[in-house]
Amino acid sequence: MSNGARIRRKGLAATAGLAILGLTAACSSGDATSDSSADAGSGSGEDVVLEFAQWWEPELPDGMLRGLMDQFEEENPGITVELLSGPYASTKEQVVAGAASGTMSDVVGLDGAWVSDFVNQGAIADLSALMTDAGYDESQLAAQVQLNGATYEIPVVNFAYMLFTNDAILADAGVDVPSTRSEFVDAAEAVTTDDVSGWILPLSLEAPNGVQNDVMSWVWASGGSMLADGQPDLTNEAVTSATEYIKELNDAGVIAPGAATLKEQDKVEEFTNGRVAMMISSLAHINTIRESNADLEFTISAVPAEDGYSGERGTPYASWGIGVAENSEHKAEAWKLIDFLMSESANAELADAANAFPGNSTAVPEFVNNDEIFQEAFDVWQAGYPANEFVGLPVAEQLMREYGEQLQRVLAGEIEVSEALENAQAAWMDEF
Amino acid sequence: MTAVTAAGASSAATAPTRTDVVRRQRRKKIALIVALVLGAGFPALPIVWMVSSSFKTNGEIFEYPPRLITENFSFDAYTAILTDPEKLRFFFNSYFIAGSVTLLTLLVAVHAAYAFSRFEFPGKRIINVVVISVQAVPPITLLIPYFGLVVALGLYNTYPGLILTYMVFTLPYAIIMMTGYFNTLPKELDEAVKVDGGRPFTALWKVLIPVSVPGMVSVGVYTFMIAWNEYLFALTLTRTNDMRTVPIGIQLLMGQHAYEWNQMMAMSVLGCIPVLILFLFFQRYFIGGMSAGAVKA
Amino acid sequence: MTATLTPEVKEEHRPEEPPSSRVRLRRLWDRLTPYGFLSPTLVLLIILMVTPIVMVIGYSLMDRVITAPESNFVGFENYMQVLTDPAFANAVGNTIYFAGISVVAHFVLGIAFALMLNSPILGHKTKAIFRTVYILPWLFTIAIVAVLWRMLLSPNGIVNYLVETLGFSAGSVEWLSDPSLALPAVTFINIWSGYPFFMVSLLAGLQGISRDLYEAATIDRAGPIKQFLHVTIPQLKPIIISMALLDFIWTTQQFALIWMTTGGGPIDRTEMVSTYTYKLAFSTYDFSVASAAAVVVLVLSMVLAFFYVRHQKSRD
Repeated sequence: MSNGARIRRKGLAATAGLAILGLTAACSSGDATSDSSADAGSGSGEDVVLEFAQWWEPELPDGMLRGLMDQFEEENPGITVELLSGPYASTKEQVVAGAASGTMSDVVGLDGAWVSDFVNQGAIADLSALMTDAGYDESQLAAQVQLNGATYEIPVVNFAYMLFTNDAILADAGVDVPSTRSEFVDAAEAVTTDDVSGWILPLSLEAPNGVQNDVMSWVWASGGSMLADGQPDLTNEAVTSATEYIKELNDAGVIAPGAATLKEQDKVEEFTNGRVAMMISSLAHINTIRESNADLEFTISAVPAEDGYSGERGTPYASWGIGVAENSEHKAEAWKLIDFLMSESANAELADAANAFPGNSTAVPEFVNNDEIFQEAFDVWQAGYPANEFVGLPVAEQLMREYGEQLQRVLAGEIEVSEALENAQAAWMDEF
Repeated sequence: MTAVTAAGASSAATAPTRTDVVRRQRRKKIALIVALVLGAGFPALPIVWMVSSSFKTNGEIFEYPPRLITENFSFDAYTAILTDPEKLRFFFNSYFIAGSVTLLTLLVAVHAAYAFSRFEFPGKRIINVVVISVQAVPPITLLIPYFGLVVALGLYNTYPGLILTYMVFTLPYAIIMMTGYFNTLPKELDEAVKVDGGRPFTALWKVLIPVSVPGMVSVGVYTFMIAWNEYLFALTLTRTNDMRTVPIGIQLLMGQHAYEWNQMMAMSVLGCIPVLILFLFFQRYFIGGMSAGAVKA
Repeated sequence: MTATLTPEVKEEHRPEEPPSSRVRLRRLWDRLTPYGFLSPTLVLLIILMVTPIVMVIGYSLMDRVITAPESNFVGFENYMQVLTDPAFANAVGNTIYFAGISVVAHFVLGIAFALMLNSPILGHKTKAIFRTVYILPWLFTIAIVAVLWRMLLSPNGIVNYLVETLGFSAGSVEWLSDPSLALPAVTFINIWSGYPFFMVSLLAGLQGISRDLYEAATIDRAGPIKQFLHVTIPQLKPIIISMALLDFIWTTQQFALIWMTTGGGPIDRTEMVSTYTYKLAFSTYDFSVASAAAVVVLVLSMVLAFFYVRHQKSRD
């Protein structure tokens, strides 16, 4: 035994040495991989290879993103773009691991919920500086995600979340598309039967974005906020009334069963199959629904607001954002790619393919003119303001999860709304 | 279980007539087959549903009441996968990697197991504890340091990177199990070789390995399945889709907004068919072991 | 596969065998032999397994590793945080339930199916077919197992359809999202996906039991149950113990299945050590505390492994 222990201690010492070696080697090899192209950056005319890591390619029609890249390469001789695509659910881990070992791609697709974490890690570069260097006109950007006064992410296209209603089910029950909370609960009760639920609420803790899209959207639609001076403020009037309201819907039995483990994708399947009359969902789903059930007639409208509210409604959105790796050797070229993707025509083309609203303020995707449903949606989008308070918050995903867990408690009848919000508020304060 | 032992009993008993024995045998056989068929529902029914879903459209998969076969029965999902060179590459990668891992793991493990089973040496127990317990660290926490290491060793986005990684996962089990199998074999077997002037190597390869084939097959199947099914490291340690494996191909069908349910199911079905064939083939070794036992009896 | 490989390797190694002219050299060589057999394993495990583990141990003693440019040594602070966190205690409890029940069920199903499939009264073809059917759940990547069972168990899924049609329940059962059913439900899925592995190992073990032992038992007039308890089980014991230990260790780190079916929910009812650690690392972004949690798990399983090895030794 004593013998074994000695051997083990020696082993530890040896491996610790190895580990350090591994780290230094990691740094140097990280440099080495980009060496060849670093020379090109200094203007020797050799090709620069830009790596662009994102989850968009599998989401888009085949070859669409590659086509845009070919166009970019044509316009910018000497730069080639290598598309690295991964599954959306694992993108964040990949970026974290890549940043930690210096192998992050030059240009990366980002979700607003991750930005703060990556900035703290020092993984993504300050885009404001790049824009200044390039003499870029920022006014054409619809939005920028800023932290401490500097831009780190630019939303390339935005997926707005609105109320989808099943025309046939509503007509059968003799109700109109609701625009206030009380109309909504009445409509939901009117349509709910053994086979159909009024509303669906995905609260999976794996992908807790239901909290952002399906819960907080009620707050934002009435002009409310979950923050005060950038700090959590979950016990305020607006969040309390929205949470109470969801509990009311739950008590009325109009929420589809299984909420605690449903995900966004499940929500859409249930709506498509006519088992749910109303849902708050991304416009990206319009095509999904049409592909699966071409006969389904549905209407899109703004998320209902509190009775009597007449101000502008906040429309929740998710975006495909873009950023540049801090360790990239080709930041200038990387910016050129972003510049290209944000340009009026390329941006409109991408928005068109993704069924999203463009991040370039002047770009108008074709679908807005060609499709009635999208036209309605575009009007709603323009009448309100984009609202997503999770963008740029630290550990945003965890915040959603913590609130989601408390909401699940409420819906399971374990605690009251006030206690849940206090718990969530305390958990959020810990993270800030 | 009753069948095994009862069969032994009836052959040894002398009193009952021949027809009695035959009749009782047949009754037992029928009862056993009925039990096996009923039991088979447990593993098979979910998979029947998977196969049925792979022939549906995405909309039909969520129909209620559910139907096993729908009017739009189609091979579209399969065509979509089999005509996509990128997806075919996933299959090739999976088989190549899992196959290499299986061969190499067995090769390395039998030597280590031989050492554990037939030698006493300083540090044996502690090495054993380490070998068993290193598997307990949740892989997700190892991800970041491991990733740095693989990049440093120049194995990022290569086959050897994945193969060596999976060997690290599979070796501890393979060693433990092979040590167990070797321990069940009498030491006289390899002593005989040594008396004839053979070295330990000869004893291992000439005597122990040939009689351990059933054990090696089951370890091999396990190893293959681990390498075949692993997702997290397969994704992190690769950069481009031409190096990636089937589980990632399946995950790529789970989009941000919607899943390609039928293609996911079809890809799983396609993925398991060659493994099934492999398994059918290697079963011979189980049966081989069995008939060897019968000869001895 | 192994059969074709054997001769090649043999050829390769034969010339390396030592010349044994002097006795002392011979003795030294003999003492080094086991290390020689172990060397490929040790090299691989030290470089690719022990190194990252040592790094993780290092992280667990620092604060804000990876996520911030600078981090400081904080001693056991992270450990205190983990060990005093009620959520961690809950996760450990759930993990023990999940792993304990899974292992027992894997064993029971594994041995029952293995015995049935091993029966000599069945023809070879019949056995081959059933063996293949019984191994099916094992052939699917865990992501698909999770997705498949989510589909089967969903409120409008086939399981609920059957439950309602057969009249067991009036409404649909929320298998995965009812706080009191979720843990048993994920445990069931894990049992489904994991038993074939136990079964295959036991099946291989059964081949190694000499028929003589059963014949001797029969002569002693031992009935089927006695034979099972006094011949089969003792003969399989080493395999059963190894498998149970390994299965327990593996099940405790099952991540993808839990994550993709319930995400640790509803509330915290299916939170396992693995999901707890994952959330710390990639959601709360606190690798230091996540590493501390991982090391706690490592230490626990080292204790388990230590007793196992001691047991093996005392058995010899």
